[in-house]
Amino acid sequence: MKFTRRDFLKASILTGATVIVGNGLPLLENLADAAKEEFMGPLPDIDVGGLIRPPGALPENKFRSKCISCGVCVNVCHVMKYDAIAVVGLKDIKNFGTPYIKDMRDFPCALCMECPKHCPTGALQKVEKEKVTMGMALIDFGLCFGWNGDVCLSCSKACPMGAKIFDFYNGEWGNQPYINENCVGCGLCAKYCPLGGSAIKVVTRGQYEKIRSSYVNEFKRLLSLSNEERYNVVYGRNIQQIMARGRLVEREYR
Amino acid sequence: MAGISSRSWQEDAWLSVNTVKGSQRSEVNNRNVIARSVSDEAISKDEIPRSARNDNGKIKLSRIRRLVLLAIVILFSLQFLRIKVLAGGLTGSVAVLFVRLMDVFAYFESLIASGDFTINALIAVLPIIGIYLIFGRAFCGWVCPMDFLYELVDKIKVRSQKSEVRSQEQRTRSNVSPKIGYVIAGILLVTSGLLNVPFFTNYFSHLTNFFRLITSGVYLALDLPVEPTVMLFSGTVIFSLLLLEYFFPRLWCRALCPVGKTYSLFNKISLLKLKFMEGECSECNLCEQVCYMDVKITPHLNQPGLRDINCIYCGRCVEGCETKGKIIKMKLSILSFRAKRGISS
Repeated sequence: MKFTRRDFLKASILTGATVIVGNGLPLLENLADAAKEEFMGPLPDIDVGGLIRPPGALPENKFRSKCISCGVCVNVCHVMKYDAIAVVGLKDIKNFGTPYIKDMRDFPCALCMECPKHCPTGALQKVEKEKVTMGMALIDFGLCFGWNGDVCLSCSKACPMGAKIFDFYNGEWGNQPYINENCVGCGLCAKYCPLGGSAIKVVTRGQYEKIRSSYVNEFKRLLSLSNEERYNVVYGRNIQQIMARGRLVEREYR
Repeated sequence: MAGISSRSWQEDAWLSVNTVKGSQRSEVNNRNVIARSVSDEAISKDEIPRSARNDNGKIKLSRIRRLVLLAIVILFSLQFLRIKVLAGGLTGSVAVLFVRLMDVFAYFESLIASGDFTINALIAVLPIIGIYLIFGRAFCGWVCPMDFLYELVDKIKVRSQKSEVRSQEQRTRSNVSPKIGYVIAGILLVTSGLLNVPFFTNYFSHLTNFFRLITSGVYLALDLPVEPTVMLFSGTVIFSLLLLEYFFPRLWCRALCPVGKTYSLFNKISLLKLKFMEGECSECNLCEQVCYMDVKITPHLNQPGLRDINCIYCGRCVEGCETKGKIIKMKLSILSFRAKRGISS
C-alpha cells in the first residue's frame, strides 16, 4: 500500500485528535472533582464584583479603553513563572479579553512588576510596588486561626509589604491579625493561609469602599466583646467551621 | 509556444504555482510547464517542481516566505516554554522583555477609544511603522498567520472540487471593491471611539484571536488559570474566517481586513516594490492569474516598477511568471530617485 500525503495528513489529524481527547478527558474529570470539593470562599456574604486588574492598571474605564487584549501581560506573567493573569471570558462581555487576576488562592500576583513595564498600550502604568492598588485583602474573622485562639502568622509572613500592612491585636484570643488599607491586593496572603479554602478574600478597591463600614464595624465589635461572649463566638460557631475545612487542606494546597 | 492557447496556460500555471500536486494529472501538467519554460533539456523526468529551489538554484521565494512565518510562530511559541524571547501576540508583543511592539491599527483604535495620547504607546508602535516603511504591506504575505491558514483552506477546497480551474476563477473574481476596507476600518475606528473600547482588536481581530486561541489552549492543557469561553470565542472567530475563505476566497485579505488596509497605506512610500525588468513578456497573464490580491500587473509592465496598494509582496507573480523571475522582481530600492520617478501609482 502506498502511503500518500493524504494518508499522512489523515493519520496525523487522527493522532492529534486522540492526543487532545486523551488529555482533555482527565482534565474534565479534574474539573468535576474540583467542583465537588470546592469550599465556599471566605466571607461568602461579600460578592467580589468587579475584576482585580494586574498591578499598575489605570482606573477601570481608562483601562478598558486602552487595553487591546494583546496578551503581553498574560504571557509575561507566564514567562516570569507566576501565571497569575488570565483573560476575562464571555461572562463579562464588556470586559471580554482584558486581563485580570483570576485565582488568588492558587496563582496570586507576586508583584514582580514586569507586566506594567511591558504593556505596549499604556493601560498598565509603571508604579512602585508599595503604591499598587489592585485590591484589598479582607480577613474572615470567623475562619482565621489568629482570631480564634491560635497564633498563625502565615499571612503576615507571606506578605511582601510586611509590617506596613499588618496590624496585630494580640490578646488571649490569639494574635488577631488585621490588614489595613495600605494593602496592595496581591493575594499572596490568600494563597499561604493554611486554612482550607483560605480565610482571606481579595476584593477590588471599589467593592471594598462599599463594604468598608460593615467590615470595620465587625472588626471593632469582636475586639470589644467580653470574654464570655467571645467564647461563645469562637467555640459556638467558628471552631466547627475551621475543623470542617481543615480536613481538606491537602487538596487545596497541592 | 505559439500553438498554446492562453487558457491552457492559465490552467497549467495555476496547477504549478498553487502546488496542487495530489493527482497524477496535475503532476503531468507541472512537468509540461517546467519543460516548456526552461530552454534546455536539463530537467529529468523525475524532477518535479516540489523542490525547494527554482531553476536558478536559488531557494524559492514561497519557501522563504513560509520559513519566515515558521520562524515567527516558533519565536512566539517559545514563550510557552517560559523562554524570554517574544511574549504576546501579533497585535502587541514585547521582544526579549525590552522592546515593546504594537500593531498600527490597534494603536489607532486604542488611541481613539481612550482619547488620550501617551508617549508610551507611541514608542511601542514606532518600530512597527519603521519596519513597514521599508517592507510595505509585506506583513500580510509574510507575517500574518491567516495567509498560511488560507492557503491550507485553498488546498482542501481544490481537492474537494471537481475542477481546479473553477476555484482559480472564483479566486480572481473580485466583485467587492478593495476600497470597502477603508470604509470598514473607518467605521471600526468610529465604533471604538463611541464605545470607548478598541472594538475590532479586542473582539474580532484575527491576530488577537489566533494568539488568544493558542495561549488559552496551552493554559488549559497546563492547568493554569484560564476561561474556557475565551478559547471557544477565539476558535469560533478563526473558524468563521476560514469558512469565509472557503466560500469567498481571499475576500477578507483583499477587501475587508482593516489591519491589512492600514499596512497598505505604507505601500505607497515603502522601499520594497515590484520591479519590472526589460525582457520578452509573452503576455501570458500568468502573473495576474496567480495573484491573490487582484493586482493589475500587465498594464504596468513597460514601467520600471509598481507600487500597488493591494500588493502583499508574496512573490507569487515573481514565481508564476513564465520567465521565472527574469521580468518581475521584488526589490528594495534605497533612494533610487531615478527609478522612483517613473513608478506608477
